Amino acid sequence: VDATLLAQYTLAGLVIGGIYCLMAVGITFIYSIMKMINWAMGEFYMIGGYVQYLLITAWFGPSRWYLALPLAVLGTGLLGMLIQRVLLRPMFVDQVERLDEYATIVTISLTVLFRNLAIVVFGPYQFSPPDYAPRVQLGPLPLNGSRLVAFLGTVVLLGAFAFVVRRTWFGRALRATAQNRLGALSAGINLTRVDTWAFGIGVALAGAAGALLAPVFLVYPESGALSTVKGFEIIVIGGLGSIPGSIVGGLLLGLVESLGSVFVSASFRDVYGFGLLLLLLVLRPSGLWGERVREA
Amino acid sequence: VAGALAVVAAWQARGVRTGIAVAGLAAAALLPFVLGDYPVHVLAVACYYVIMASSWNLIAGYTGLFSLAHHVFGGIGGYASALLVIRSGVPVPLGIVAGGVVAGVAGFAIGALTLRMRALYLALATWAFAESIRVVISMEYGITRGDLGLPVPKLFHTVSPRPYYELFLLLAAVTVAGLAALLRSRIGYRLRAIRDDEGAARAAGVNTVRWKRFAFTASSATAGVAGAAYGHYIGLLSPIGMKFDEMALIIIMVILGGQRTLAGPVLGAVVVEIVSEALRAYGQIRMVLFALVVLGMMRLYPPGLVGLVRAAAVRLTAKRG
Repeated sequence: VDATLLAQYTLAGLVIGGIYCLMAVGITFIYSIMKMINWAMGEFYMIGGYVQYLLITAWFGPSRWYLALPLAVLGTGLLGMLIQRVLLRPMFVDQVERLDEYATIVTISLTVLFRNLAIVVFGPYQFSPPDYAPRVQLGPLPLNGSRLVAFLGTVVLLGAFAFVVRRTWFGRALRATAQNRLGALSAGINLTRVDTWAFGIGVALAGAAGALLAPVFLVYPESGALSTVKGFEIIVIGGLGSIPGSIVGGLLLGLVESLGSVFVSASFRDVYGFGLLLLLLVLRPSGLWGERVREA
Repeated sequence: VAGALAVVAAWQARGVRTGIAVAGLAAAALLPFVLGDYPVHVLAVACYYVIMASSWNLIAGYTGLFSLAHHVFGGIGGYASALLVIRSGVPVPLGIVAGGVVAGVAGFAIGALTLRMRALYLALATWAFAESIRVVISMEYGITRGDLGLPVPKLFHTVSPRPYYELFLLLAAVTVAGLAALLRSRIGYRLRAIRDDEGAARAAGVNTVRWKRFAFTASSATAGVAGAAYGHYIGLLSPIGMKFDEMALIIIMVILGGQRTLAGPVLGAVVVEIVSEALRAYGQIRMVLFALVVLGMMRLYPPGLVGLVRAAAVRLTAKRG
């Protein structure tokens, strides 16, 4: 394998891994605030893709995809906030028996609901929005324009996310809630509001990934399945509840997949991540950066 | 009507309840004599799901181990049995038993691997296990024929679903009866103690490690037998049956019927299977409906259909008394 090809695959791996990070950060963010796993994350990814595609084809036209993007993100986020209000809030208000089980059942039902709703409304077809940008040449390395756009979008979004979490009062409330819900409550933080926003922001990140990747991986009812797989792989690798862990895990997964398909075999692409994941579950169950506590 | 009310009144008495179950079973066994081939096929599949849902209820509902790999244990049993029968030519019934054993061993391994994990990690780990098995099976064209599907020798030399229905009914009855006996025994109390508070159970002298592994092994082996028998009925195995949607369907059945009850998974599986066949013409809308009903139930009425029936029975007897 010559150096240019290697560099090209490394670049491609890093780019796709960076985009995987959006999903993983969303999952881990929701987990750290609400102590639940959102199994429907991939479905919000799928919804983001559909909204983006509809806005482009019906309204903005292919050249103004960047106008549709914020709307797709916003729409997914609002849907998430609504779902949090209606379905997930009773977890914390009433005495729901077995919190994590309730959340798992509800979000798994949501995956069934959204996936089949997409089939009912749009049919089982694959839609492909036009590329966001033409092919780019980075020195000697060619790169798909849409992927580059998606990667840059990811960097901007994660940067904004990090700014909000680290530098604002609201971010401080989020971090406090993640550390200790009861402590945050006694400090006068409105947990209901924090939960609603956290869930909305978390799924909006998934929606953004879906909208950004719409031209790359196409838009269809089960498009979220693969991205859920990647997202969960990353959080197990990086550690549940750790945002740096999910970013490193995302880049690592992208690299392993990309280099694995050069050196070993491209058809086993989706197995490498699982191999990495099972290895970590056995050797280091809390992931690279995860919290150490294993029992409730 | 008075007779029906008397039956309802005596519902709580266990002897009568067993009597009703036996009578219902006898009536169900006679159904093929009145129904056509297609309804009998639907009922056979419903019985398969009764086994899957009931055995999942044992680990998730009664032991508190929310596994997301149950459908894959069925698939493992199916592939193990089919490959054994195809490669070495053992009789199909022996293959089905072997399928149960292989799935049980896999369940034991997963149970051991996830012993220390708390609920969310257990769900994640079992989910990851399920997805990896599915991916491996769809990749290994040489052995499993991957996504093309593996043609499986049939158990009975007939195209009629009737003998299969009787077999699945028998298996389902054995599963539910076995589960009932298990839950009434000391083991059942140990499992429920683990679910309610693992630390307290250990303090009270329950060997949590052993019984968690036991629950995983027993429920996986049951799923393996069901999956093997199903494979030899349908005659084709494919990794599609190991997709996560299948697990979601099992969860929907259990929640709809009523988690942590014996009758819940039975009722849920039969209702979901029959309704989804009845609405087949309307496509995926049926899945949307099931998901909405389950969401509504989780939010407003967690006891499920069994809770509904029970409440109705209590009201009827109260009016009468």
